[in-house]
Amino acid sequence: MKKFLSSVLIVVMMGITLMGCSLNEEPETQSQDSSENTETAQTENTGSEEIQELEGEITFWHSFTQGQRLDVIQKAADEFMQQNPKVNIIIETYSWGDFYTKWTTGLASGNIPDISTALPGHVVEMIDAEALMPLNDVVDAIGRNKFAEATLGEGTLDGNNYSVPLYSHAQVMWYRKDLLDEAGIEVPTTWDEFYEAAVKLTTDDVYGISVPTGSGDLMGTRFLNFYVRSGGGSLLTEDLKANLTSDLAIDGIKYWAKLYNETSPKDSVNYKVLDQANLFYQGKMAFDFNSGFHVGGIANNSPDLLDDISCAPIPKINANDPEYGIETSNIPIVLWKNTEYPEIAKAFIEYIYNEDIYIEFLESVPVGMLPAIAGIKDSEKYMENETIQQFADEVDVISEAVGKGTAIGFEHGPSVEAGLLASQSIIENMFQSILVGGVDVETAAQKAEDELNESFEMMQ
Amino acid sequence: MFVKKERNLTRWIFVLPALLVVGMLLIYPVFSSIYYSLTSKHLIKQSYSFIGFKNYIYVLQDSAFYVALLNSIKWTVLSLTGQILIGFSAALALHRVVKFKGIYRTLLIIPWAFPSIVIALSWKWILNGVYGYVPNLLFDLGLTTERLQFFSDANLVFMTLVFINVWFGAPMIMVNILSALQTIPKDQYEAAKIDGAKRWQSFVHITLPHIKIVVGLLVVLRTIWVFNNFDIIYLLTGGGPANLTTTLPIYAYNMGWGTKFLGRSSAVTILLLLFLLVVTGVYFTVIRKWEKEES
Repeated sequence: MKKFLSSVLIVVMMGITLMGCSLNEEPETQSQDSSENTETAQTENTGSEEIQELEGEITFWHSFTQGQRLDVIQKAADEFMQQNPKVNIIIETYSWGDFYTKWTTGLASGNIPDISTALPGHVVEMIDAEALMPLNDVVDAIGRNKFAEATLGEGTLDGNNYSVPLYSHAQVMWYRKDLLDEAGIEVPTTWDEFYEAAVKLTTDDVYGISVPTGSGDLMGTRFLNFYVRSGGGSLLTEDLKANLTSDLAIDGIKYWAKLYNETSPKDSVNYKVLDQANLFYQGKMAFDFNSGFHVGGIANNSPDLLDDISCAPIPKINANDPEYGIETSNIPIVLWKNTEYPEIAKAFIEYIYNEDIYIEFLESVPVGMLPAIAGIKDSEKYMENETIQQFADEVDVISEAVGKGTAIGFEHGPSVEAGLLASQSIIENMFQSILVGGVDVETAAQKAEDELNESFEMMQ
Repeated sequence: MFVKKERNLTRWIFVLPALLVVGMLLIYPVFSSIYYSLTSKHLIKQSYSFIGFKNYIYVLQDSAFYVALLNSIKWTVLSLTGQILIGFSAALALHRVVKFKGIYRTLLIIPWAFPSIVIALSWKWILNGVYGYVPNLLFDLGLTTERLQFFSDANLVFMTLVFINVWFGAPMIMVNILSALQTIPKDQYEAAKIDGAKRWQSFVHITLPHIKIVVGLLVVLRTIWVFNNFDIIYLLTGGGPANLTTTLPIYAYNMGWGTKFLGRSSAVTILLLLFLLVVTGVYFTVIRKWEKEES
């Protein structure tokens, strides 16, 4: 009998637990209802002066792992929550590599945020996956004419703006002035000059250039794209097929393989973006390719090298080749379709673009993040920044590059293929098979091209 | 009759939470993997369709799959052999230690206590080809003509990972074998000594029979764990360079999260499951035979 009673007791306890769970779910349901009501009310009030009080919780995923950006965004969120007491903003930070895995798996499991940052290549994949909500009204509220058309176009489909550019940067060639001066080398302007300089500057302690091809990142793709774009080519054909077997691409692969063998640490075959950057920050590399983020990196890691670094445009194949533009990244914010509170998400995005907050955000990584909207670059507050003043020439070089370049593979316009080109490590694996596996360039390039094309077809 | 029913009900009530957990954590993923392996499921594409065994055909025709399978077998055999040998030797040595046994045991178990991420990043730093302590030390001492590239040299990378895995796993084997050794009655050794048995004879006829089932079970468990090991390899090399350290779990991951073909990735995991079922089946047959011999 005792056992029977204990069994009954357990069943009753389990029942209570399950009831508890269902009771816990009720407020969520209520809040959903209230959000729907708010949305409805908002819709009804469109055009009227009445302002609805915002209420709800949103999650913001961002990739501001470098500099003080995280603090600035958190501060902006805290201020926004102070102004809107019924709003809660949860901020989660992921590196770009983790972020890609996070959102792609999150799409399958439903674990995605309300708003997030993204890379231009991600945005096209997100649009293709029908995961985003248009932000035309936010763009209009900030000021459509403030954004460069090309920048806005990276996340636009059928007239809908699915992303709002937050900041811009471009890839340029960074070099150590002191090392070049000591060796009596001019700043290289062609790839041949660059090769000679890198070889000459390679010593027991310093590498001319590291050639990074680690999988799980896009560094190999990026480096190959530098060469191909500098010759006016593209890693995608006009009909958006992979283009790794063109003469230009084969030359580019061979070029980087040669530099890997002669000037690079052998471990760079596994390097991702931060491994590569760290090598430059530690003063172990004469050249590197990166954006203005290198200024902050050097300032934090080797401040004594700060006066010894500068940047120049990425080399060309021939000195008299036209400027084709290389790689520009306009990092945007996107609004996820699954959000329960689009009105809060949109209001917060707009809030970040308030001039004071926006400039403070840009100045958290001075030179690294250039304004994506007009009217900031020449503002007194922005120009007051010491680092921006110190690196005024470098800012000019990067700004010029920003205006000419595109995201990798976007030469023919935004496309899913461009996103897939850089997000699957196929080109990185190709490089590894050549550099370590001993596969010949043409065979490896053909294999990678076929793999990319197969993945492109999957998305049709 | 009523009492019997009541007992059964009680048993079921107590077993139910565990069953639910097993159902959620094991049965559902296995069946969903089987299901997805028969579809064109893609990571970021919404729609997918049933495609039969096409994923299995693709995987079985992919030369990279066989490279990964061979790497997995090598990885498991070498790691397990190293872990058993070192773990066994350390356990025998520790069994004979009288003073400070607890301190030694604690120190020796430390590698096993660290999370994989800590182990991977520490070794990555120690063996880094540019800043790493070990390559620089060997070079500075004149033992190598250039700094060794443990993670990028085709001849070193695989064995480097095996070494790290042995270092990581041996303590766990050691602790388990040591526990088994401590259960052997001392009077058996004394009787053998009186009968004139040599040390190696005592080891072969007393020690080994007593611990072989424990070792057998350890081999079964470690085979499954090591074969499925993902984190250490992924964190150290990501399966690279040039797939030299790509094992089946890494291959499946790269297929699902790299090239986004979840259907194919699921097919790989099902093939992995079948392979491990066969291997563990063989193991258990041997262990059952030992148990019969013992009884």
